[in-house]
Formats: sequence, structure tokens, C-alpha cells
Amino acid sequence: MKFTKILKKLALAAGLAAGLAQPVSAWTLEEAAKPYAGTTIDVVFLLRPGYEAAEKMLPEFESKTGIKVNIIKHPYENALGEQVRDFVAGGDLDIALIDLVWIGNFAENGWIEPIDKFTSNPELTDPNLDLDDFFPLVINAFGGWNGTIYGLPFDNYSGLLFYNRCMLEEAGFTGPPESWTELMYVYGPRLTGDGKYAYALQSKRNETQSADSFARMLWPFGGSFLDENFRSNLLSPASQSGLKFRQDLMQFMPPGIVSYDHAETVNGLAQGDVAMITEWSAFYATLKNPSTSKIVDCLAIAPEPKGPAGRKPALGGFSMAVASQADEDEQAAAWLFIQWVTSKENAKKYLELGGVPARQSVYNLPGVAEQYDYVPALVESWQDGVPEFRPRFAEWPEITEIVQEWGTKIMLNEVTTEEGAQILGERMEAVLDEAGYYSGSKPLAQ
Amino acid sequence: MKGKVRRRTIFAFLGPAIVSLAVIGIAPLLFAAYTSLHNYNLTKLRKVKFIGLDNFTFVLTDPVFWDAMQRTFSLLVIVLPLQLLIGLGIALLLHQPGIGLLKTLTRLSLVVPMATTYSVVGLLGQVMFNIKYGVVNQLIGFIGIEPVNWIGDPENAFIAVAFWDVWQWAPFCALVLLAGLTTVPSEIEEAARLETPSWWIVLRHVQLPYLIPGITAILILRTADTLKLFDMVFTMTRGGPGSATEFVSLMIQRIGFRAFDQGLASAQALILLVVTIVLSQLYIRYFYKEVQQ
Repeated sequence: MKFTKILKKLALAAGLAAGLAQPVSAWTLEEAAKPYAGTTIDVVFLLRPGYEAAEKMLPEFESKTGIKVNIIKHPYENALGEQVRDFVAGGDLDIALIDLVWIGNFAENGWIEPIDKFTSNPELTDPNLDLDDFFPLVINAFGGWNGTIYGLPFDNYSGLLFYNRCMLEEAGFTGPPESWTELMYVYGPRLTGDGKYAYALQSKRNETQSADSFARMLWPFGGSFLDENFRSNLLSPASQSGLKFRQDLMQFMPPGIVSYDHAETVNGLAQGDVAMITEWSAFYATLKNPSTSKIVDCLAIAPEPKGPAGRKPALGGFSMAVASQADEDEQAAAWLFIQWVTSKENAKKYLELGGVPARQSVYNLPGVAEQYDYVPALVESWQDGVPEFRPRFAEWPEITEIVQEWGTKIMLNEVTTEEGAQILGERMEAVLDEAGYYSGSKPLAQ
Repeated sequence: MKGKVRRRTIFAFLGPAIVSLAVIGIAPLLFAAYTSLHNYNLTKLRKVKFIGLDNFTFVLTDPVFWDAMQRTFSLLVIVLPLQLLIGLGIALLLHQPGIGLLKTLTRLSLVVPMATTYSVVGLLGQVMFNIKYGVVNQLIGFIGIEPVNWIGDPENAFIAVAFWDVWQWAPFCALVLLAGLTTVPSEIEEAARLETPSWWIVLRHVQLPYLIPGITAILILRTADTLKLFDMVFTMTRGGPGSATEFVSLMIQRIGFRAFDQGLASAQALILLVVTIVLSQLYIRYFYKEVQQ
């Protein structure tokens, strides 16, 4: 696989460079950071558990390096706009926080630096960086674009099936559904009634609609947004089957599901009103916290159900990359921070503080799988995911708006799945045409 | 020379205001005009090119834009008369003689809704109209009405937004109209009341002429505010479900700041600006003409 080769080459280059320059044991963060003591680096953080975890780790980094990390907090919905405006205006951000669907946009605009600029510098790069330790799917999807790695995975999610084990047992089930059809036809009827619902699929008209709802039902059924020629694949039988399944499944969801965002969905499960949800692994902490969840003892976790095409769970998460607009010192300091916060050595601490690292090694540590019961499902999900779960090219911000609009109209039965897919496909292709994918001026990378 | 002010002094006084206006108001407007004539996407600044009136042509033939415009005007024609009527009712009640303390407290409480930040009003609405935990469904439950899916149903979401806007701005109308009522000379009003027991005749022929300037101001301000209504709806429904509450300003924000197509968004915003100016001129022409007569 091309990507694995690149990774190995990078790791080898970094190792060789480090080895030639000085003994491996000589590298320390403190020494590497000495020239940059006093430098301030600016980074956007989200209001999510993984960022709170990193924030708690910061004093250690700052005291070791003398580098000051200035955090600018934004809710997810504002994070892209704020960063785009900063990069366009040549602002202050030294680190880009990149959702996997923004990577093409950031890379193609030249707002971020490839990591080999830093891994090739033995003075800056920890010999124990070990890029191979990241889950290949995660580093490829979150930090890579068109064969180049720009960012290291920082806040990592996979879609998981969170369920109320007690409700399922009361209904006579000994475990969660293995497949989507089982969820609908077997679990749905028996878990819905008396104000309770078998399942809730967050579908609010924002990224939740396109990522958590629309895409989630495309891939397991063999569908996709685009075919190999970058034409709309939404009218294909497989895509239609997934979209129709979503319509049918709505009978087992709470009314008004198109207004459900993550908070409402997680709360539905946490309050015992909904038996199952498919949500990001990051919500584990909320569901496991007695002050926000009534089902702490009943909470159980499994990988997302399989469809005819396999599991193909939702994939989402963020990498951090060094911003091109930063000056040399800021870039070096930013790299040292990114490398440190995503390191193997810090992965356990990050996990304990509420983050979800993408380091394979941490999940093999004794006791981790037992202490964090979402780990086995998470690790399994990161084997089956698709990097282009949502296309990661620069045009996604425009396309996601179209998906959000027409995906919601489909759910509200304002148009049929075929009509919605037809219009959505035409608009999606118009955006791609204007971008130059069909004229050959842009490679068909997603 | 008495009465002659030096040119430098004039500039010193007027300059800051003119410069501020130019920087804050005129420059962005000119930049919007510039971007509206270009293919100007923030994430594709290397590909900016002049496209003439293409953005305007696209907007004027785009059914999504006209749908949003229609929703916005539907909201306007529903909420504006309601706000005026409720405001007038409150103003007339407060204009009655007696119960001074109660009237003072009422006047003070009328300020609360409009003093509340728009986005906070929207967030409150999101919580209060929640189908399961919202206080609105609890209240209507006391009179035996089943819980209503306010935010998740397209029609109900529109009603909820309209209701919320009326709640926030009817008090403003009440205060403006109450101020208008206080300008009616008391001897004329008392004489009219001696002539007729009909409150309607007093209102129509004595009080209303004094209210016309206030009503015109309300029409202009509330029309402009409704056409650019954003914060409350954004935090309450985010334009959903579907497009049920995607008013024109939300659509412009979506195009300009989420899809980053600043050129198209600027064209939409300029068209909205023209519509607002035309409406304001119409109000002034017809209502002010009446009051001048």
C-alpha cells in the first residue's frame, strides 16, 4: 500500500537522520526546545473532552520547554470558519486543527506544512516518534492528503454502538444487534413503545446530518458519495438501499429526529429514553459520568452494526499540523508541541484524562481494555473504516451544505430518496466540475 | 470674525465620525460590491476572477434564494401586525389613568425581552420548546394538550420562531406607542371622550394621528430587523428542520461563512439591502404622507 510505504520511508528517514546526527538517547525535549524558549504558539481547541485532557497536560510541556501554548477555544461549528479567516488573513495561528474533512482544503491552499519538513530535522524530531505506532487508517485519514502526511492524529473518534444493556435484556436480548437489518427488524419493534425508542440517529442540519446520518447509512450498504470517476453515486442501487433504510428506520426513532444533534441523542440514551445510539467514541465520558447519565451501570458498547457491505463505521477526528504562516521558530515550537502531545509516552496520560489517542501501543497496555470498555470496539472499528467516509477534498465545505439541505428534505419526506439523490448529485457534480475535477486539472483525490 | 468657524475646526469635529463611518460602513459595503462581481471563495483565493453580474443572475434565478425570501416575508407579515396590535393593546392599557406603581413595574418589565441578547433568546427557545423537557409542553400539558414537536417539525418550528419574535419585540412596539400616546394633548383627548363614549373613535380620530410617526419608525425598524433576523433563529433551530426556518440572512451566512462563497453571499446581501431600502422608502412615502396631511 502506497501510504504504508510512505510512512515507512518517513520513519526510516527520521531514524537515519537522528542516528547520523547524534546518539538516540541524547535527544530530549528540553534540549530540543532550548532555542525556542519564550516562543508563544497559538492553536485552536474545541470544547470537547480530548482538548480538556490536552489542556491539563500543558503545564508539563510549558515547564519543560519554556514554550507558551496559547489556546483559542471555539465550538466545532465555528472552528473551520475561524481558522480559514485566520489563514486567509495571514493571522496568528501556528497550529492548524484539522477535522479529517478539512485536510484537502488546508493542504491544497498551502496553509499547512508536511511533517517531513520536521521529521528530517534530527534536532527537532524525537527518535521515538514512531509513526508506525499510529493506527494506519487514522493517520492516513486524519493527517494525510494525496500521499503526504501533514498532521498527527490528536482527537480521534470512531462511530460506536452505545446501548442500554438493561433495556435490551428486559426485551429478551442477550447482546447488541450485529447488523443494521437486525437492528431494525428484530430489535426495533421490541424496544419501541411507551415513549421509549429503539434507536436515535442524530440528524440535525449541520455536519451531523451529512456525517452522522447520511454517510452512516451509505457505506455499510455499499453506497458512496462518488464513483471512481467522481460522478455522483447516490442513485446507485446500493446508495438508494442505504437511504431508504434510513427512512424506514425512522419509525423506531424519537419524533423530530431531524432536530437531534449529538447532545439530544446522547441525552436520549443517558436518560433511558432510547435503547441504542451510534455515536462518536468521545461521548463515552458523558455516558459514563453519573452526573450526566442515568445508565452508567447499564451502558455497554459495541462496534457499529454491519451492513451488506461490511461494518464501515463512521470515521471522524482531528489532526494537528504546523501552520505555514508561522515563522521558523514558531513552526519548530509548534512541531515540538504536536509531537509531544500525540507521543507514545503521553498516550496513556491523555487517555486517563479523557482523550482518545490514536496510538496502537497504548491499547495493548495491560488493563487498558478492561478499564475503558469502549477500547475493543474502537480498535475493531479502526480496522474497518473508510478514509473517504466523507470526501476530504477542498470542496467538502460546499458539498456538505448541499448534503445537509437535501438529506434533511429526504428525511422529512419532502422529496423521495431518488429525487433527493438526483438533485444532490447534480449540485455536487456542479461543484466538482467548477473545481476542475472533470477537466483533468485536479486529481481525483478524496 | 464672529460666527465664522475655521475649516480645520469643522474637520476636527466631523472627521472622526466620517472616518469611522467610512471604515465601518462604507468600506465593507464597497468590498461587498467588489466581491459580488467576482468568483470569490475564501478557500480558493488563487482562483478569484471577475465574473460580472453572474452572481446576481444566479441569485435572482435561484429557487433556494426565493424560498428563503418568501419565508422571510411570510414571517414579516405574520409577526409585524401581531407585534403592532399587541403593542398597541399594552400601550392603551398603560395609558389609562390610575394604578401608577403597577404601570411603572409593567413598563420596566417590558424592557426585559428586548434587552435580552438575541442569541440567548434563541437558546432559551431551544430549551423551552424541547419536546420532552421543555416548559412550553409542560404548560400546555396542564390543559390536556399532547406534547407538541416544536423544533423537529417544519411548520411548528416556524410557529415557534414567530411566537418568540413576537414575544421579544411586542414590548418594543408597546413602549414606542405609549410614548406616542403621551404626546396627545390631554385637553383634546378629554374633549373627545366627552363627545363620544367609543374608545375606537377616540383612537382612530384623536390618538392615531399622533401615533403615526411611531408606527412608521416601528415599521421601518422591525422590517429591517426581521429581514436580517439571524442570531435568535441560528441558536434556536439553525434554519431547520430542513429549510423551514432558513430565512434569508441565515442563508447568506451559510453561503458566505460555511461554504465560504463570499462572492455569492455578497450578491445576496446587496439584493437584500436593496429590498430593505425600497420597503423603507415605501413606508416613509405612504405613512409620512398621511401624517403630513
